[in-house]
Amino acid sequence: MFDLGGLGDPAFLAVQCLNGLTQAMFLFLIASGLTLIFGVLGVLNFAHGSLYMLGAYLSYTITSLFVGSPAAFWISLVLASAGVAVVGALVEATFLRPVYRREELEQLLVTYALVLIISDAVKFIWGPDNRSVSRPAILAGSVDIGGRDFPTYNLLVLALGPLVALLLWLVLSRTQFGRLIRAAANDREMVGVVGVDVSRLFTGVFALGAWLGGLGGGLAAPVGAIYPGMDVEVIAESFIVVVVGGMGSLTGTLLGALIIGQLNSFGILFFPRFALVFVYVLMVVVLVTRPWGLLGKPLAR
Amino acid sequence: MKRTAVLAGIALVAFGALAPAPPAAAQQPIKVGVIYGLGGAAAPYTKPAVTGHEMAVEEINAAGGVLGRKLQLVIRDDQSKPDVGVREARDLILKEKVDFLTGIIHSGVALAVSEVAKEHKTLLLVSIAKTAALTEDKWHRYVFRATSNTLIEGRAAAILLAQQPFKRYAIAGPDYEYGHRMTEDFVAHLKKLKPDVQVVAEVWPKLGERDFTPHINALLQAKPEMVFSAIWGGDHIAFVKQAKPYGFFAKTQYLAIGQGDLDVVVPLGAEAPEGMWVSSNYTFYYPDAPANRDFVAKYKARTGDLPPSGAAFGYTATHFLAAAIRKAKSAETEKVVEALEGLTMETVHGPLTIRGYDHQSNKGQFFGRLKKVPEHPFLIIGDLQYVGGEKTMRTLDEVKALRGQK
Repeated sequence: MFDLGGLGDPAFLAVQCLNGLTQAMFLFLIASGLTLIFGVLGVLNFAHGSLYMLGAYLSYTITSLFVGSPAAFWISLVLASAGVAVVGALVEATFLRPVYRREELEQLLVTYALVLIISDAVKFIWGPDNRSVSRPAILAGSVDIGGRDFPTYNLLVLALGPLVALLLWLVLSRTQFGRLIRAAANDREMVGVVGVDVSRLFTGVFALGAWLGGLGGGLAAPVGAIYPGMDVEVIAESFIVVVVGGMGSLTGTLLGALIIGQLNSFGILFFPRFALVFVYVLMVVVLVTRPWGLLGKPLAR
Repeated sequence: MKRTAVLAGIALVAFGALAPAPPAAAQQPIKVGVIYGLGGAAAPYTKPAVTGHEMAVEEINAAGGVLGRKLQLVIRDDQSKPDVGVREARDLILKEKVDFLTGIIHSGVALAVSEVAKEHKTLLLVSIAKTAALTEDKWHRYVFRATSNTLIEGRAAAILLAQQPFKRYAIAGPDYEYGHRMTEDFVAHLKKLKPDVQVVAEVWPKLGERDFTPHINALLQAKPEMVFSAIWGGDHIAFVKQAKPYGFFAKTQYLAIGQGDLDVVVPLGAEAPEGMWVSSNYTFYYPDAPANRDFVAKYKARTGDLPPSGAAFGYTATHFLAAAIRKAKSAETEKVVEALEGLTMETVHGPLTIRGYDHQSNKGQFFGRLKKVPEHPFLIIGDLQYVGGEKTMRTLDEVKALRGQK
């Protein structure tokens, strides 16, 4: 259906590639929280999309408190993600802590219950209407790329993605907290035996994961609509990224996000009606050939 | 002593049951089952829709009900899933013993529930769902629609755009029943009216897509003069916000079907592109007639807000049902079916008729281009024109051919 002549146009290809890269950074920010929680806590957190939604709604409320101020967006980004981290810590301590020793299915049910609870809470607090926040004035325009417009806001996303990746890497490899996290991911009982407060460690990890989800939601708010149900799509996409990249592997999540971003971006040019298929085909191929994901580790059981 | 009291009680109850039905039984309410997807992306439409149904019922009951009986609503959530819709419809018919069914926003749910209505011979008056199939090839005696459909709206857009100089068109639609049906109905009619138009690109983002930027760049690359879009609700808000910094609205014209509704222009606020072509299901400012003014005032008094399209859908459907019962002088399904066929009623949109032979309302759409006005913080439709359903509905022969009849 498409005139594929655009494929010979370098400026078009550059913008399309940057679009895919921006999408990848969004996917990475959101999915990294999911993979972190799974890697350390062993819990597949269905409610991660709900935390993302909460980040978007909180940033809507905070932005409207500071309406007119050029700093509104930045304040909302910091406060909304921090707020979601706090919610995450509370949720972990009340709902998840009692079920770590239970079967995985039961943990899954608890996180699914959280999806329903948060969804109803959001509808109760903010109502069913669509909401929207604006980009900060400084990022509302576009930059010129080979004679084409590319949104300035996307540059922020492109910068924040690698920055957060670097930050996570530093935390995990260079701090005591990070060393404990890695140790707990390997053998949580051993970490407990040597006198580390595993409960607090887990709460901290869950809060960090929730913060990443909330940051994704706050960052997505100005370029999307905020509505009840925005949690559902994002959790499905994040799962695919994490499965492709490897459950629990942050580098894998980054790689998965990068591949899926480009696949979505260029897939629609060849098969506009079947573009979604590419991502699922990729997932199936990965699951068949490397069930533990591209950079994940095989389960040693 | 206690035992005597118990026996007396039992006797009383037994007598009560045996006693002839008092005339009060005739005063039993007429029960109306209302089915909607109450969560997710549909919520901005369906929550006000329920309010619309409730407002109409309160008005009717305050005036003494219909045929001396009050109306009573039983509201159910179909979760926008056809199987859940079927389960709820069965439950409403068999357990709640509702007299009529109404509501439904999701086209897939509407087609599924319609089959239940047919099986149980229960009248279903669809209030929002738009797939034309419901009143065409999937039509039956017990299904009605109080609003427009994809064919009416797609053809209306084609009539308006055929008068414009655009030759290079692009298509954007959510990838499911509604999106495909709407764009097909539009393109088919446009090509009939103006055979030299070209569709140079099409994009099919999934329903609930977050990132439209690859689609936006691809559309621009094809250099269309006009993009016809069936993307709706929150997806449309995201599309507009993401398209703007690409200079999209300066490089091409764009018509978004149904997106002049308050559900999307209010959240977009000043970010809505001025001059964007839209259609709307309902506007509080047109027609400026007593029925609409009265409705707006009542909705505002009740909620503090201007009525979004959902409220008008629910309100209109309920009044159609009540008018049919009044005309039939009975709440019996078969009689109400006959009364609804060809029924004309004054509505918030002006006078509307539900056609006899396909049970389709002649409700049209309001078209125009968004413009800023000093009195509202959001854009309204400028140069508004109403394209009535009678201009675009299928003829009797077309409908018969679709149903495989002679």
